[in-house]
Amino acid sequence: MAEDSAGLPSNYQFWMQKLSVWTQASTLETQRDICLHLPQFQEFLRRMYETLKEMDSNAIIERFPTICQLLAKSCWSPFILAYDESPKILIWCLCCLIKKDPQNSRESKLNSWTRRLLSHIVSTSRFDIKEVGLFNQVLGYAPTDYYPGLLKNMVLSLVSELRENHLNGFSSQRRMSPERVRSLSRICVPLLTLPDFEPLVEALLTYHGHEPQEVLCPEFFDAVNEAFLLKKISLPTSAILCLWLRHLPSLENTMLHLLEKLISSERNSLRRIKCFMKDSLLPEAAACHPAIFRVVDEIFRSALLETDGAPEVLAGLQVFTRCFVEALEKENKQLKFALKTYFPYASPALVMVLLQHPKDIPQGLWHQSLKHISEMLKEIVEDHGSYGGPFESWFLFVHFGGWADITAEQLLMSEAEAEPPEALLWLLAFSCSPGAGHQQRARTMVEVKTVLGCLTKLFRSPALSARDLQAAAGENLGGDPRPPACQQLVRRLLLHFLLWAPGGHTIAREVITLMAQTDAIMNEIIGFLDYTLYRWDHLCVEAHRSRKLARELLTELREQALPGQVNQ
Amino acid sequence: MDSLLEQLDRFSEVLAVSRTTHVSTWDPATVRRALQWAGYLRHIHRRFGRHARIRKALEQRLQNQWKQEGDSGPAPAPDLANFQALGHCDQLLSLRLLANPALGDASFHCLLQQLFPGPGVPDAEEEALQGSLARFASCRAAAHMLRFHAYSENPVLQKDSVMKTQAELLLRRLHEVGEAEAEGPGRLLSRLWERLPQDNFLKVVAAALLLPQASPRLQEEELGVGSPKTPGDGRQELLRWLLGKSDIVVAFCRNLPAELLTSVVGRHPELSPVYLGLLTNWGRQLHYDLPKGLWIGTEPQDVPWEELFSRFQSLCQAPPPLKDEVLTALKSYKAQDGDFEVPGLSIWTDLLLALGSRV
Repeated sequence: MAEDSAGLPSNYQFWMQKLSVWTQASTLETQRDICLHLPQFQEFLRRMYETLKEMDSNAIIERFPTICQLLAKSCWSPFILAYDESPKILIWCLCCLIKKDPQNSRESKLNSWTRRLLSHIVSTSRFDIKEVGLFNQVLGYAPTDYYPGLLKNMVLSLVSELRENHLNGFSSQRRMSPERVRSLSRICVPLLTLPDFEPLVEALLTYHGHEPQEVLCPEFFDAVNEAFLLKKISLPTSAILCLWLRHLPSLENTMLHLLEKLISSERNSLRRIKCFMKDSLLPEAAACHPAIFRVVDEIFRSALLETDGAPEVLAGLQVFTRCFVEALEKENKQLKFALKTYFPYASPALVMVLLQHPKDIPQGLWHQSLKHISEMLKEIVEDHGSYGGPFESWFLFVHFGGWADITAEQLLMSEAEAEPPEALLWLLAFSCSPGAGHQQRARTMVEVKTVLGCLTKLFRSPALSARDLQAAAGENLGGDPRPPACQQLVRRLLLHFLLWAPGGHTIAREVITLMAQTDAIMNEIIGFLDYTLYRWDHLCVEAHRSRKLARELLTELREQALPGQVNQ
Repeated sequence: MDSLLEQLDRFSEVLAVSRTTHVSTWDPATVRRALQWAGYLRHIHRRFGRHARIRKALEQRLQNQWKQEGDSGPAPAPDLANFQALGHCDQLLSLRLLANPALGDASFHCLLQQLFPGPGVPDAEEEALQGSLARFASCRAAAHMLRFHAYSENPVLQKDSVMKTQAELLLRRLHEVGEAEAEGPGRLLSRLWERLPQDNFLKVVAAALLLPQASPRLQEEELGVGSPKTPGDGRQELLRWLLGKSDIVVAFCRNLPAELLTSVVGRHPELSPVYLGLLTNWGRQLHYDLPKGLWIGTEPQDVPWEELFSRFQSLCQAPPPLKDEVLTALKSYKAQDGDFEVPGLSIWTDLLLALGSRV
């Protein structure tokens, strides 16, 4: 706490100055300033409380001689009193000033002053509406009975005014002027998280005036988005859609928030990623409006470039795309916008094929689709077609995760003697390193072909040994060491093998131990198993034995890596 | 059951005392006990909310308080007015004690410790009270902010938020009091008439009479079990009382704006004979001043022509059957007076002439 209290004096001065300005005048500027600073001020109050609660009230006054002014000014501001937890924290701070038994008149005075202020916050208040007080007194109602009802009525009346405005256009007499709507949106900033306030927030978000420029203030959008991300407010998708369409920074913030979650959390399982992807409402919003899809896509793209294809971001992208497609299907939108609006830089034919859900294609025909995809991609990448460079093609391809893995599985399960189709090999090589040149890729294809040759021979073998597998995966002696991307690909092939080969389960653990030389590789394997199970769920793949093995391995490895961590 | 009722009585006393200077004798232990007691009653509320028999017994006991008449006239409103109130009796007690300067410093300190234990409180009950008190502060500040910065008084009175809320509360209370005993509402209304600024009160009455039928809020406040609820009840009581007090109904019809009255009378046809009757009487008070060419009154309290006209005008713009009723009456008075067509002889003729094409 040492550095906190060191930082506190300078912060204190800053906030004292701010409060002085805020309580002097109530101009639009000050209102805006208050709204911008409310969250930080609340944080400051929290830190103050942590400091004050350790001190006796005399010590407090000595250390912070102007504390009474600070607290009083805060209490006189309805913005601060209405916001989130600020009244609670102010009360806590004031409680620190109360002395159980005051020894002299100064302490007594402080006590009664503090009590009056506490009473102002909670009991009687200069915010009371006078003409109503007597009425309720005779009726026997306390302010606690009255105010929630009044607030609700005010909210409802404002909502109907906004809606009326919307419907009647120019003719309505009760038309709210744009200034008034703007001012209302500013006032709502501190009030967002109050109960029963959501209808007003929704009405503002969906309000469309007749002015060409945006009428709501930007602080409002920011505040709504923050509250939504922190789950302090719940709004229907249509309202969130309006929010993001009208205020791009909100959408960007939501994406950043999502990316942070993806990257920072320890080993997110795909199920959890799917959960918070759905919670974020991004897929649903993207399904409703291509502009949102484009922005989200762009951000994923940048993130992948910046993180050099980090697996967490990739997983996020794939889950997003899957949820997005599901949302499209659910709404039965039948792509009411042309594909081109979602993927303007890609070949429409390619997109159509990629969008197909493998489970809609009979399994026997999968390799046909794969060949088709491979040919189209090859044409774009190697013949420098008009659809952007290899990265763009790869980026498009990885949206629809499962195809690369299906390719691997198909190759593994093909006949031992048959030549693996070049197209499929190419696809595998491309998916693991899109930036590789023609020669490099050809080399990779050769390597993979060799490995596959051994593996397919071993596939039906009843008695397998780890050594066999090691040999199969072994590097070409005397040649250059495999590039890491290729090595990763070989590892994946081995893992696929372990899961599918009839004899795989007996040697699985041994092989994995041999493979997992580093923590990074272990994480990779865990990620692979998690992803495979997720993919099989979506494909409704039966394969009981493989699933069982995969699940067991996943649990064991997770336990090993982080003992005690409960499986999602 | 009896002990529970006794607890209720005792606690009501405690609650009454909490507002007075008598709390200066309360030591920290007393404060703690009082709060525990409130917490216990709140628990009772939660536990027996759906238990019809117990709830009814408690409700009746509480509503008996409304019947009490002190020596100096009707007693002030009880603190715990109904079963619902038990749900936040701890809040009520806390707020009273917090605002009471007579409470000793040590006891106040103890009160604060009980009410605001600080962050990270494991006890759900304490957290709930702490949270609800803070939330109430936010709620009031929010209402102030909306009123001050975003509110504009709705010219249509019955849609004005403040009026509406007061009207809702009035009806709610009338309904409850009516359940306790039949004369309750009438007495309460008379009390309000005596104590409040009359103009404001009449407006609230009008707003209450115009509240939308079967307000869903009234129904959802109750926990479902218990006496049958007809949401119109409060309104019936109100009407009955209004119609029974001739001086009040005169003030009602005289002081409220024409449009408002038209809406009220349109919604509650029982009032139309009274209103029309009054308008007729007022009309008959005026006589035609030939030199000036105007209808004028003799007494200062006579309703001037302009006002009379505007009221009739408003009534004629109402939907049938009210409009037709008014026109029929006017025409019949005109006929009674001799069915003149020339102005200056019968006020009814002149009114009809002035209403002109709208008729």
